Amino acid sequence: MALTETDVRGIADYARIALEGDELAQMTAYLNDAVDILAPVLEYDLPDVEPTFHPIGDLANVMREDAGLAARALSLDVALENAGSARDRYFRVPSILGEGGDR
Amino acid sequence: MATSFDTLSAAQIAAGIAAGDFTAREVATASLDAIAAREDAVQAFLQVSPELALAAADRIDADRAAGKPLPPLAGVPLAIKDNMNLVGTRTTCASRMLETYESVYTATCVQRMLDAGCVPVGKANMDEFAFGSSTESSAFHPTNNPWDTGRIPGGSSGGSAAAVAAGEVPLALGSDTGGSIRQPAALCGVVGMKPTYGAVSRYGVVAFGSSLDQVGPFGRTVEDVALAMNALVGAGRDPYDGTSQDCAVDFCEHLNDSIEGKRVGIIPAFMEAEGLTPEVRAAVEGAAKQLEAQGAELVEVELPHLDAAIAAYYVIGPAEAFSNLARFDGIRYGYQEPDCANLDAQSSLSRAHGFGAEAKRRQLLGAYLLSSGVYDKYYYAAQKARTLITADYNAAYEKCDVILMPSSPRTAWKHGEISDPTQMYLADLYTISINIAGNGGVSVPLGLGADSQLPVAAQLVGPAFKDRTLLMFARALERGLADASKGAPALSVAPAFAGKGGELA
Repeated sequence: MALTETDVRGIADYARIALEGDELAQMTAYLNDAVDILAPVLEYDLPDVEPTFHPIGDLANVMREDAGLAARALSLDVALENAGSARDRYFRVPSILGEGGDR
Repeated sequence: MATSFDTLSAAQIAAGIAAGDFTAREVATASLDAIAAREDAVQAFLQVSPELALAAADRIDADRAAGKPLPPLAGVPLAIKDNMNLVGTRTTCASRMLETYESVYTATCVQRMLDAGCVPVGKANMDEFAFGSSTESSAFHPTNNPWDTGRIPGGSSGGSAAAVAAGEVPLALGSDTGGSIRQPAALCGVVGMKPTYGAVSRYGVVAFGSSLDQVGPFGRTVEDVALAMNALVGAGRDPYDGTSQDCAVDFCEHLNDSIEGKRVGIIPAFMEAEGLTPEVRAAVEGAAKQLEAQGAELVEVELPHLDAAIAAYYVIGPAEAFSNLARFDGIRYGYQEPDCANLDAQSSLSRAHGFGAEAKRRQLLGAYLLSSGVYDKYYYAAQKARTLITADYNAAYEKCDVILMPSSPRTAWKHGEISDPTQMYLADLYTISINIAGNGGVSVPLGLGADSQLPVAAQLVGPAFKDRTLLMFARALERGLADASKGAPALSVAPAFAGKGGELA
């Protein structure tokens, strides 16, 4: 079943990408084309095959000492230098709730 | 008599500096001169870094003057794909999102090349966030194929491949998620290697598909690629990358060994695939004959589940890309939309205006594929297909040492010729399954296609962590073709650029 523009608007909201102008129609057409080329994979949802999530099969989480990490921790100045806005020691963001703007 | 810098391989440059034939500063200056003279036509770089290059070169010259031993790539100019961090440069991923992003640390792969003596001359253009096969999705400018500047260099590491093919540098780093080293290497007539997943650290490389991405080198000779592999993996596993594996071997040790008695697999279905042009097919068949003439045995192998590879890739890749690119929210780094009423609007508009069309397309596809109800249907199926494809390769390697196939079904196309993104995806036929299985692959130039007179290439793929064997076969192919044409490597610097700027006194 083809994706509708309403579906795609929902996906874009989830992806936090605002679609403007013709983009909604273009992305809807694209997603339907793309999903079409994915169809062959559906035949491989076989009950007796285990999924491989990663090329290195036996990868496990590794616990290690924090020691030595200090050397590569970013200094405050460096950590903030690429931020769009910062104030004092912090990244600066607009209001998280509502339409209140910067407070 | 003056020598053009572009006639020298990385190995020759390092040897010449060690012998005192020229200084590292002279080589760095020659590379920067070549870039200045050629870049208008090629546009391989997003940023040239003369200060870093000359400072690194001066350190090499000072070390030599002080009698210190020089590292194996001392003074060799290097181009770095712009998704790899290097302090002192921006790392933009060819995206407006990161247009002003200053690297705050240096990627392990880059550091290891610098430790081996390389001189960083600049950051190479790419498809935005590596989404593409033509470098046309760069937010800043396209890159032109040095063999015909009206054509694309391939992608996503198109800038790296073009810089090497145009003779601006002898070595470059790229990254390969679905063919992004091997395909541009093929289209630009240079050697390009995607090592086995885990061989090269990804620490400091901007992530696209975390289970697929791998960094590797471009060079004009197989030996140069082997030297770069030594630099990248020689120091062992990187504690900063949990996927990094300890696989240090000397890639030069068996480079010139005979391939007599070894078995080369051919996949008949691949040689008959729709879209494979006759000239590429003929060239790859010629490569098979060349290996056979050197004593290798050709055997037919089958990969029965390959029909699922493109589909599996375009599930796994976008899903992982969506997860990775969620970090670009306009807060800690990246483009930030001004004057937004709230954080939600700031994130959505920063992402809408920071990302280009293909980056948005891939993320929306990934978001859809990971959404409730869809995830079970596609994502699990893709990972099961991955199990089957990996098993296919493992079974094939029971019968052969390496598999020979095309790198790209066709030669370089004209700018704008393929505008439909899903059509472009289908061109990844020969490269994608290697990323899914995690094995290594290397693209080797075979000369010019009979019809297009553009570079054609063969790809050699092999079992996991047998990348050294791949280079041995690549070298055999290079050697055989050089003998056949009574010349140096099958292809060298593109003729329109050879000798244009960059002379060594």
